[in-house]
Amino acid sequence: MKTKPTGLLFFPAFDWAISPTHPEREERLLYTRDQLFEEGIMDLPQIKEYKPNLAEARDIARVHFCVPDVAAQITEAHLISAGSTLVIADALMQGEIKNGFALVRPPGHHSMMVSHGNRGFCNINNEAIMIEYLRQKYKIKRLAVVDTDVHHGDGTQNIFWHDPEVLFISFHQDGRTLYPGTGFMDELGGPLAYGTNINIPLPPRTTDIGIHYVLEHLVMPVLKEYQPELIINSAGQDNHYTDPLADMRFSAQGYARLNEILAPDIAVLEGGYSVETALPYVNMGIIMAMAGIDYSHLREPDYDPARFKEQNLETIKKIVKTQLQAFQNREETVQKNRSRGQEFDTIYKNIYYDTDYISEDQTERLRLCPNCGGFRVILSSAQHRNGKYYDVYCISIPSYCCSDCHEQAVDMYQQMCGKGGYNFIYLQDRINDQHKSFDSKAEKETVL
Amino acid sequence: MLIGIDVGGTFTDGVLLDKGSIKVFAKEATDEQNLSVTLLKVLDKLLEDQDAAKISRVVLSTTLVTNLIVTDSGPRTALILMPGFGLPYESYDQAPDTYFLKGCMDFRGNEILPPDQDEIRTAIQKLKELDIRDIAVAGKFSNRNQQHELLIQTLLNKYYPQASVIISSHISQQLNFPRRAFTAYLTAKTSKKWNQFIDHMQQAIQERHIKAPIHILKADGGTMTLETARAVPCETILSGPAASTMGGMALTMNDGKNSVVLDVGGTTTDISLIIAGQPLYASQGAKINQKLTHIKSFAVKSIALGGDSVLSTEGNEIRIGPERKGAAACFGGEFATVTDAFNFLFKMNIGDPGLSADNLSPIAAEMKLPLPEFCQLVVDKTINRLKETINGMFKEWEQEPAYRVWEIINRRTFHLDRLIGIGAAAEAILPKLAEELKIECFLHKYSPVANALGSAAARPTLTVNMHADTQAGLFTIDPGGNQGKLSHNRNLQLEDVKEITRQYLQDLAAERGMGSYASEAQFTREEQFNVIRGWDRLGKLFEVGMQITPGFIAEFKGAD
Repeated sequence: MKTKPTGLLFFPAFDWAISPTHPEREERLLYTRDQLFEEGIMDLPQIKEYKPNLAEARDIARVHFCVPDVAAQITEAHLISAGSTLVIADALMQGEIKNGFALVRPPGHHSMMVSHGNRGFCNINNEAIMIEYLRQKYKIKRLAVVDTDVHHGDGTQNIFWHDPEVLFISFHQDGRTLYPGTGFMDELGGPLAYGTNINIPLPPRTTDIGIHYVLEHLVMPVLKEYQPELIINSAGQDNHYTDPLADMRFSAQGYARLNEILAPDIAVLEGGYSVETALPYVNMGIIMAMAGIDYSHLREPDYDPARFKEQNLETIKKIVKTQLQAFQNREETVQKNRSRGQEFDTIYKNIYYDTDYISEDQTERLRLCPNCGGFRVILSSAQHRNGKYYDVYCISIPSYCCSDCHEQAVDMYQQMCGKGGYNFIYLQDRINDQHKSFDSKAEKETVL
Repeated sequence: MLIGIDVGGTFTDGVLLDKGSIKVFAKEATDEQNLSVTLLKVLDKLLEDQDAAKISRVVLSTTLVTNLIVTDSGPRTALILMPGFGLPYESYDQAPDTYFLKGCMDFRGNEILPPDQDEIRTAIQKLKELDIRDIAVAGKFSNRNQQHELLIQTLLNKYYPQASVIISSHISQQLNFPRRAFTAYLTAKTSKKWNQFIDHMQQAIQERHIKAPIHILKADGGTMTLETARAVPCETILSGPAASTMGGMALTMNDGKNSVVLDVGGTTTDISLIIAGQPLYASQGAKINQKLTHIKSFAVKSIALGGDSVLSTEGNEIRIGPERKGAAACFGGEFATVTDAFNFLFKMNIGDPGLSADNLSPIAAEMKLPLPEFCQLVVDKTINRLKETINGMFKEWEQEPAYRVWEIINRRTFHLDRLIGIGAAAEAILPKLAEELKIECFLHKYSPVANALGSAAARPTLTVNMHADTQAGLFTIDPGGNQGKLSHNRNLQLEDVKEITRQYLQDLAAERGMGSYASEAQFTREEQFNVIRGWDRLGKLFEVGMQITPGFIAEFKGAD
């Protein structure tokens, strides 16, 4: 039988930048383009190239509460980047490809459920948009996201925090030494999704050996037990030893091997800002590994494996042991949380948007439902860069929600619309795939 | 007066064109083994009783190089590759005699891995032992820095002066190492026979006292002089379909409509698209022997379905073609063909309609169908295959990758206005297809010879591409494989790069005797990137492309 090709959607957005000198600028994938084109990898029968498409506003509203609306939080480039992941998802689900890589920018993994602006170069979360699309269109139930970016995937963590059906694993440079300063070992998920959020904060200067240890001794065993239908690699490339924003020692060969072992169904590009000395080679490595092409001949021009010695292995072994334990205790912990008998679990937090200098206050509540993962309510307020202050009320009904929760959440939305006190009230109903927002001042409801 | 000769797989057509009227038409069966004999027979027929001094240009479209490649009949040729790091060596299957040597550049033209002179000398020794005298050399990113290729060429010239060497950066400076290597290899392999052909042609032309310039049609629908053609044999592959497309454009004088051109020959139909008056190019370059090259060519689909495709049965199914066994029955052929089915069903009165019916009947009987019903099935099947191919081409065009936001926002949409039919069997088949597609059907009295007409009237084309890197202070410019240091590069702006490109095109056009078209050149690509390290701009990268697009020479003002 002829094996299917690997889908590749390369969208370098050569006409989009956050600002002219920003790391997220036109030049970012230029040398990657040169390398991929010169190698002629798209001509190989193992690769099938796809053209981007635009995501629709409802694809975004299914995941995010964009304040005040979707149009305010995105540019056309964001719609293309998110839409491209959907093209790859369709190609995979329709059996055209064996796996796929959305090599696209702008990135998304720092975007949380509520979006007031740009955080960590991201406005909307590409992987989350793709996951909810896969759930909606193809009835996929259980997925895993492995975030291999050097920065903690705090946006993806936030979106799936309460979701027991999405396993989120992120390894990254320790949050005490790098943006966004989160992703610690005790962030293990919400009360009813405990243990499905696993962080592996790695000490700076971790090498291929350390990361592969985590992969083989933690990530792979956890995935094996969790049995997701699809595995998604949130594929940042800034663990590379030449990345200007981080301090790790991962190589192109290391990235290729990671993808060979992890065997993701879909990879989506996230960060990585060593545009000339890392990205061309790391991207080649990921594509080759996913397509099953021998990558032993690939390396960076200046790569010398003798230069890097793994000095953090003992620390890493301890982290792996602890996190494996936490994962194995997950059902027990969820059981305990449920039996607390509380109606809602509440947390208060402040979220900072580093790119847009926005400070958001949040109160987040989860219904501790006896039958399902519960629905989620977020009260959020922030002053945007244009000076406007927004106070919004958000209700999110997950796709795995029970009818009791669904009914209660819909009632809550209707009550809040009558009550006022918030600029906008949002209802994200993933059961009916209907996403509403109510503008209190104009008394106008928009349905996507 | 203009002469155009198009060598096809079955027949070679020639026209003598005088102010838009075909004065003489000549047709000869193509002798693949002896193309120049066929060409000269047609030329002599055209020149009979004509004053050779009044001929202002002769254009040949020839399948010589395509045949050499497809039949693998050139001399044994070696390909020396310097792939450096990246894909495994076994993915390079361009040539049976491939030698891998050290040496590699990166995308900015920096040396990653130096060549090893001892290794090169050993390889040369081996080539000498095997008596391989035709050699192509290709290095990864030689389009950004050709020093390694030049070094090998120099050493080959020194230690193996009998060898002829082609380096890939002289053939193309576009990205895509395997395509560049393959194009260089094909150039090396076909160069000698191609040059013999040109010598022969020049001599024959001289003997016939033709003083006019002789041009060769290229895959991109433009022409080049015989002298220019010497160095680039591969530019002539797929020039047959290019002649058809140009023929379709010549008959409609490029009026800006969106058209599909169908050249319905005896055995095959070639289909190409004209979008807003410009023929559509293959985004990947011409494909030959299942491999991609760096030859710019039209996006042409060829299907094995022509007017003379033989009808037969296979179980309960009608089989159409793929082979041709002589002319259609209505023209005295021995077998019923697609043309006969259309002829009978639509009472088209082509040739002897009685012969069509006589030959169709036994097959219809075999299928236990009344003759009209049988013919209807053949017609439906034929129309459907053509329709599917055309729709597939649109879809492919719409799905071509794009790398910029504006390209995605301004989605490609296409509304087909017209079908242009050319080739001998167009008249029979295409009106029904146009009806089915609900578009205008354009047929012209010159439709059957439009390919030769297209060749005769096509103007020269030229594409210049420049890459400049102000941080490295380097530029490359094509054609010609020039690379060098930028002078005054500190403040180089896009406008300056465009001006250098324009000047280069103008000079080259003058050198190639096509200076009068230089003013019509258009910019086809303008890219600039800031090179930022930290928060500082260290330089700029530019890519500029400029093209004299396909069109017609001033003397041709349209077909009568």
